[in-house]
Amino acid sequence: MNRLFRRGRAPLIAATLLLGGGLAHATGDVQRGADVFATECAECHSVKAGHDKKGPSLFAVLGRKAASNPDFAYSDAMRQSGLTWTEDRLTAYIGAPRKTVPGGKMKYDGLSDAAQLTDLLAFLAAQH
Amino acid sequence: MSHTSHSRGRGAGVRLRLLAALTLPLLAAFARDALAVPSFARQTGQDCVACHVGGFGPQLTPYGVKFKLGGFTDSDGKDNKIPLSAMAVGGLTHTAKAQEEAPTDRTGTNNNLVLDQASIFLAGRASEYIGAFMQGTYTGADNKFAMDNADARAVRTLELDGTDLTFGLSLHNTPGMQDPFNTLPVWRFPYVGSSVAPGPAAAPIFDGGLEQHVTGLSAYTFADEHFYAELGSYRSLSPAALDSLGLGRDSYPGKLGSSTSYWRVAFFDDLKKSAFSLGAFGFNAALDPSGDGSSNSDHYRDLGLDAHYQFLGTREHIGTLNASYIREHQGLDASAAAGNADSANGRLNELNLNASYTYDQTWGLTLGRFMIQGSRDAALYADSANGSPDSAGWVLQTDWTPWGKEGSWGSPWANLRVGLQYTAYDRFDGARHNYDGAGHDASDNNTIYAFIWTSF
Ligand code: HEC
Repeated sequence: MNRLFRRGRAPLIAATLLLGGGLAHATGDVQRGADVFATECAECHSVKAGHDKKGPSLFAVLGRKAASNPDFAYSDAMRQSGLTWTEDRLTAYIGAPRKTVPGGKMKYDGLSDAAQLTDLLAFLAAQH
Repeated sequence: MSHTSHSRGRGAGVRLRLLAALTLPLLAAFARDALAVPSFARQTGQDCVACHVGGFGPQLTPYGVKFKLGGFTDSDGKDNKIPLSAMAVGGLTHTAKAQEEAPTDRTGTNNNLVLDQASIFLAGRASEYIGAFMQGTYTGADNKFAMDNADARAVRTLELDGTDLTFGLSLHNTPGMQDPFNTLPVWRFPYVGSSVAPGPAAAPIFDGGLEQHVTGLSAYTFADEHFYAELGSYRSLSPAALDSLGLGRDSYPGKLGSSTSYWRVAFFDDLKKSAFSLGAFGFNAALDPSGDGSSNSDHYRDLGLDAHYQFLGTREHIGTLNASYIREHQGLDASAAAGNADSANGRLNELNLNASYTYDQTWGLTLGRFMIQGSRDAALYADSANGSPDSAGWVLQTDWTPWGKEGSWGSPWANLRVGLQYTAYDRFDGARHNYDGAGHDASDNNTIYAFIWTSF
C-alpha cells in the first residue's frame, strides 16, 4: 500500500484517478508543480529533452514506456518492470519508488503529500 | 587564516618561529581553498548545484553530503570518464595598514596581486566501491608545489528493508577533511582566503595544526541516511616524507603518539525543502617534538560541537547557518620543558558562526563571526604583548557564480566564482590596541580580498 492511502487521502487520489488523464491535469496547478519539481526532483532530473542527470530526462514522460531512453543506464528492475507511465503508475511510483519498482535505483523516499503530487503530475503532463 | 599554538611551542629559535609564522598561515589558508571539482560533475552527470550550495564548492547540499559519504563513487553508469580537474584562484589583497614585512620574497607589504593557488585534482571513482579526491597545489606567493588535501575511500552500501547502511574507510592526510559537513575547520567558511593576508597566531590543533602532515585512517558508518559515526587514528609523516611531498622538512610538527584518536557522531536529516545536522567530535593527540622519544610530549584534547541548517526550498532562495565550537585542553609538557611555554597547562576555545543567503544559485552573501579565546602564556604566544591568544572578528563575503547550473555555459567543463571578502578584526593576538607592543592595532590587519576562482 502506498503512503498516500495510509494517510487517508485515498478518496482524493481515487477521485483524481477516476477523472482520468485530461481532467486530472486541470485539478493540478502547473506552476506549483514546477516548484514541487524544483524541490523534490530537479537535482536528479531535467525536463529538457535528452538531458540526463542522475536520473533520466522526464521530458514527455507521461504515456511513455518505462526505461525507454536508450542513452540512460537504467536498473535491471526498471528495465524489466514492464510499466507504462500512465498517471496512476506515475503517482504510485513517485509516491513509493522502492515499492513500485523493487530493486530500482531511484534513491528517493517518495512524495507523500497528495496535493503536491497532483500539482507535480500537472507539471509533468505539460512537458512535451 | 591561522596556525597553531603548538607550532610555536616547538620553535627552537627566532628564525624557525619566523618561518613558521610566515608559512603556516599560508598552509592553513590553502587548506580552506580546496573544493570539489568538475570531474565529479562529469562522472555523475550532475550539475555543480546538485552537490554545492551556490553552484561552487565546497559548501555541500544534502545530495553532496551523500555523494561524499558514498566515497565519490556515484556515476551516471557511463565509463571512460577521466577523473582529472584543475582549479586556480587568484586575487588582490589589501590590508588596512601595510604589513611590517612582506609575506614572502615574491610579494610586497601591501596590495598584493597573486595567484594564491593553482591545483590539480585526481577526483573520481576507481571502481564501484573505491573513489578518491586528491589535490596537488602550486602557491604563487612562494612559488612552491606541494601535496595538498588527499582522501581515498572504500565504501560499501547495503540495503536492508529499504534502509541504506553505508560502511566506509577513508585514508586521508588532514584531520577532519573527511567530514561531510561545512562546520569543521577544514571545510568551513570562509571557503577561500588570501594567501598573503595576516592571520591570528593561535588555533586549536584540530584547526590546521597537522594538515597534510599526517596519515589518517578512519572507519565510518552512515545509517538510514541519518546517523553518522566515525572512528579514526593518525600517524605523523617523517621529515623525509614531508620533504618529498614538497612540504619541507622544517614543517615537521613532531611525532604523533600511537594513541592519537578521532571520533565523530552526527545526526543528519534531508527534508528536501531543508536539511540540518547536529554533531560532536573529539581529537586527542600527543606530539613529541623531538621525533625520537628523547623529549616529553605535548598533549592536546580537542572536543567539538557543531550544527548546520539549510533552507533549500525550490533552490531559488537558499539560506544556510553553520556553527562550531571547539574546546582544547593542552598539556604542553615538552614545550614547557624546552622553555617554549611558561605553563604546561593551557586551554583554547574557538567559536565559528556564519549565515549565508544565495539567490538563484548565482548571487551569494555570507557573514561569519570567529572567536579564539584561551589562557595566557607569554612564551607560547610570544607575538602577543600580553601573552594572550585571543582573536575575534567578522568576515563578510559577497560573490557571483554565473555558471554551474543546468544548461550553463561550459557545463560540466568549467566553473567560475568572482568574489569580494572583507575581514575585520576586533581583537588580534591578544588585544584590540597595540597587541604586539609595537603599536599595531587589531584593525590594522583588516583585509579586503577580491578574488577570481575558477575550476575545470
Ligand atoms: C536522488 C536522485 C533522484 C531523485 C531525487 C528523483 N529521481 Fe526519479 N529517477 C532517478 C533514477 C536514478 C532513475 C532510474 C531508476 C532505475 O533505473 O531504476 C529515476 C527514474 C525515474 C522515472 C522513470 C523514468 C523512465 O525513463 O522510465 C520517473 C518517472 C522518475 N524518476 C520521476 C521522478 C520524480 C517525479 C521525482 C521527484 C518527485 C524524482 N524522480 C526524484 C533518480 C532520482
